[in-house]
Amino acid sequence: MRFNAAVALAACLVPAAAIFEDDAYHIDFHHALLGLPKHDATFFQKPYAASKASLLYTISENHTIGVINPKDGALVWRQAPSPNANGKGLLRSGEEQDTVISAIGDGITAWSASDGRIVWEARMDGAVVEDLEILEQEDGITNAEAKDAIVLLSEGSQGVKRLDGKTGRVKWSYQDTSGDSPFQVSTSPTTIYYISLHTPLLGGSKLKVTSLSPITGKKIDQYTLNSDSEIQDHEHILFAGANTAAPLLAWTDKTNKVLKVNIIGTKAISTFNVPSKDAVEKIILHAPGRVNSLPHFLVEYQTKTGHSAEVYHVDLKKNIVSKAYSLPETAGKGIFTVSTSDANVYFTRITTEEIVVVSSVSHGILGRWTMKASPTLAGSYPVHGVSEVVVKSGSASAVRSAVLFSNGQWALVRNGELAWTRPEFLSGAVSAAWAELPEEETLAHELEVEGHQNVVSAYLHRIQRHIRDLEHFPAWLQNIPIRVLGNLISKSEESAIDEIQHDTFGFHKLVIVATKNGQLAALDVGSRGKVVWNIDLNQFSPETIFQGPSVKALRGYVEIRDNGFGGSLFINTTTGGLLSSRDIQVQPLVAPEGQNLVTFDLVNGDLKGFLGAQPSSEPVWNFNPPTGERIVSYTTRPIKDPVASIGTVLGDRRVLYKYLNPNLVLVTTVFDSARTASIYLLDSASGQLLHTVSHNDVDISRPIPSTISENWFSYSLTIDSTSSATSRGYQLVVAELFESSIPDDRGPLGASSNSSTLQPSEALGDVTKPFVRSQSYHVPEEISYMTVTQTKQGITSRELLVTLPASNSIVGIPRHVIDPRRPVGREPTPLEASEGLTKYVPFIPFDPKWHLNHKYEVVGVKEVIASESGLESTSLVFAYGLDIFGTRVAPSFTFDVLGKGFNKVQMLLTVVALFIGVLFVAPLVKRKQINALWTI
Amino acid sequence: MPSQPPPPPQWVLDLNSAPSNRPRNPSIPDPPGFTASLTRKERSQSSKTSLRKAPTPEEMDTLKMKKAWEIAIAPAKQLPMNAIGMYMTGNTLQIFSIFMVFTLFKTPVLAVLAIQRSFAPFETPGTSGRLIGVKLVYVMTNLLMLGLGIWKVNQMGLLPTTRSDWLAWEGERTWSERALPREWL
Repeated sequence: MRFNAAVALAACLVPAAAIFEDDAYHIDFHHALLGLPKHDATFFQKPYAASKASLLYTISENHTIGVINPKDGALVWRQAPSPNANGKGLLRSGEEQDTVISAIGDGITAWSASDGRIVWEARMDGAVVEDLEILEQEDGITNAEAKDAIVLLSEGSQGVKRLDGKTGRVKWSYQDTSGDSPFQVSTSPTTIYYISLHTPLLGGSKLKVTSLSPITGKKIDQYTLNSDSEIQDHEHILFAGANTAAPLLAWTDKTNKVLKVNIIGTKAISTFNVPSKDAVEKIILHAPGRVNSLPHFLVEYQTKTGHSAEVYHVDLKKNIVSKAYSLPETAGKGIFTVSTSDANVYFTRITTEEIVVVSSVSHGILGRWTMKASPTLAGSYPVHGVSEVVVKSGSASAVRSAVLFSNGQWALVRNGELAWTRPEFLSGAVSAAWAELPEEETLAHELEVEGHQNVVSAYLHRIQRHIRDLEHFPAWLQNIPIRVLGNLISKSEESAIDEIQHDTFGFHKLVIVATKNGQLAALDVGSRGKVVWNIDLNQFSPETIFQGPSVKALRGYVEIRDNGFGGSLFINTTTGGLLSSRDIQVQPLVAPEGQNLVTFDLVNGDLKGFLGAQPSSEPVWNFNPPTGERIVSYTTRPIKDPVASIGTVLGDRRVLYKYLNPNLVLVTTVFDSARTASIYLLDSASGQLLHTVSHNDVDISRPIPSTISENWFSYSLTIDSTSSATSRGYQLVVAELFESSIPDDRGPLGASSNSSTLQPSEALGDVTKPFVRSQSYHVPEEISYMTVTQTKQGITSRELLVTLPASNSIVGIPRHVIDPRRPVGREPTPLEASEGLTKYVPFIPFDPKWHLNHKYEVVGVKEVIASESGLESTSLVFAYGLDIFGTRVAPSFTFDVLGKGFNKVQMLLTVVALFIGVLFVAPLVKRKQINALWTI
Repeated sequence: MPSQPPPPPQWVLDLNSAPSNRPRNPSIPDPPGFTASLTRKERSQSSKTSLRKAPTPEEMDTLKMKKAWEIAIAPAKQLPMNAIGMYMTGNTLQIFSIFMVFTLFKTPVLAVLAIQRSFAPFETPGTSGRLIGVKLVYVMTNLLMLGLGIWKVNQMGLLPTTRSDWLAWEGERTWSERALPREWL
């Protein structure tokens, strides 16, 4: 304890740690994610016309535009314009253009294709962009300069607009007041077709095609296709061919029995029967997206058991669609991609076993590669993809495909080999929890067993355990040379360890991440966020539609809960296998020993406490906020919150005793109309109000993050005095709770070692309330989430971890900077200065050294979780949201581990040199001593 | 014919036979300031009949007591100088001040332990009764010295006299209730 106190003192005195240069990129990892890529908006494209290599462009399902280097899967640039925009995200690029144009919600933006800078931006107020196309040719002539964009708008001002490719200025617009639901635009070299769904009062929808002049935007022609019987909804339309030489319109009936194809501009409808005997689940039409390519297309049929395809040719002169050949049905899941090379069109069939390239002209196989199995893709099948094919002298020499697999990995397969994978499914992470490695879990269990036995049997048990451990001894011996060598060459230990295994410092820990749609993955934080396993929860409960499952880590397993189903799923943390609730003893997270258990929950807007674990109808206490206020959130102390010292030692060596109540809960409420926010500190055992504070002029639409740890809590607010965004300020409030304001005083409870808030003893009167010291600071940026670092024994000073969405960063604010005892309006006295207190300044600039993410841009962080490591000095931090980020934090420096700068080789050499020196000098000294004896 | 050596000159004879100290004529007194060297006999006689009278045992005891008092008071005399030295060294923990404090503790303790030895020369049947008081004073003055050491150690903050020194032995309160959010169960 003495040592602890000394360390705590040392921890208070040293300044806050920053990330050292040699630690960066070693202790931290970052998955810069995009989200699951959209099929129709993913393409290979050269960033500028003269470029040799192409990049992979995509817009993901959460509207993040990203560009990936196909070579190594590294992110080139990405933009997340507006995360909550409605409508679908569209991304298009013209041939030989140096811009890509995106449309999300009402905003259309052109980005520089090579670096992601905004070229122009156009906002269609109130409207939603339904479709976006690039006008490749105008009257049959390719516009070499910036190609114009054609947008189709719905809602606000329905119609078609042509935007200048250089400036984004509207060149013309065509208003559609018919009230039909707009579907798509399609361009041909001479005409722009606007396709909408005309829905009469009775029956199905009719496809209405309006042809517009590309130059003036005037309506040239309009006709309706008879498709009543088939089309009810958007989903029944398979394809409305964009930018092809022969723009196509294809649809099917509800049962996927018939395929109907219309060449846009003609009224003729070709009807084809679906070939498969089995019920076809899905029909996908793949057509090349280039003007000068052959007018061939492929129709993919997916059944429950297999997939097949048919290739059709379009005769442009006769306006006839005819079937050319068919690709045989193969069992299992597979996809087709289309790629072009000059005018030739190639189709690539990707299954879990092989990759086959065929030309659109004939069914002869140009190239075939077998897919090499990879553990990251085990058990998954391709969902959609894009390909690039290199054809030399009639045979495909190389093919690379960016394929989204069903387990959420976006992979690039190059000639059957996996070049890279990106765990894009992690971008939808909604919940995460730290899990111990299995070895530590078993050891903890064994120790617990020993703890409950008597001395003799515990000793026997321990001996047995040690004998059992001997089986690892040969392997341990074998590992010694490797470990020693690894240490000497100062190779980082992380890279030496491939498998997840217990490491000396406890940096290897698993984080179990659950995504919104029910994917569950385990990441090893010690090995740079490697995905250890990855499962789809839907296989365990097929009927459930997951709405954001929550993860809770228990001993050796995680418990998954979701609003979509009643009970909970238990998943083994090591393997990702399902455990039935009978196999495991379900243990509560916190086992109250000899304590009365009170549970509380938000019920109908009130916070209510119940006695015992079972929800009883009679609440013990009830906290309902004043009229007009509603509870936004509540925060409690972390489950594991060790406190090293129960008091703060003052400069004169007196003690301010901390108010350490495990049942503290911080409730945040807002008053919508008065624009006030209130903070209530409750004792959740009794429901007693301990402290309250209210803030005026709060922008209540912004998040009010809060956290509580040890004996202090903090929260952040957006202050907005004028309700316009011009005069915003961001405040960080920190409050510390003490048992008494007088040093050396333990408050009304005195020295009694136990206390109860539910049944306060008569002598002590009412429930004791803490003495609260609080200070507020202005911070330069909005804080969206905050939490506190955790260490094993709580000796190390804590850091407040805050996420800053405006600068895409995570900052660790040292505790001593936000100490509420900083003297206000005067310099600190020498005694205060010896405590490390500095003069209060109302503004805390975020020191660049506090940024944990250094050069990384951590986008869209929802939550940050911290956990202890094996070292007292170090806390593990994991952030999730869109990106995944993990690092290690040592708020008081790594005082218990040798730094990387420590030269072990030099130390060994010194020892060796000294030893050799001793060997040489020893005889000399001996002779001298003997001589000295004889010369008297 | 053997020649006789010449007789030695007078100065040689004078040199060889020094004149007697005794005045030839006792009636002539010695000049003032001249002390005649004593013969061996006279010398032995004169030692027996010393000019100073031998002190009586009482006088001797008084003298010893005086000396003993001096020894007893000596540490107190050093006290002001030590105090200034201690004040000057400051309250920081440095090797120099630590050594000074160490000697400050060592000296009085050793002195008190060796109290019998240091007062042994003054121990006579006559003084033994009175020496107890002197020894007590000696212990007191050494204690003063020790007190200075303790004051210094306290100034340096090494004495566990404040609440914070015992904080590690104080426990966190145990709460008889534990409240948990429902979602944690």
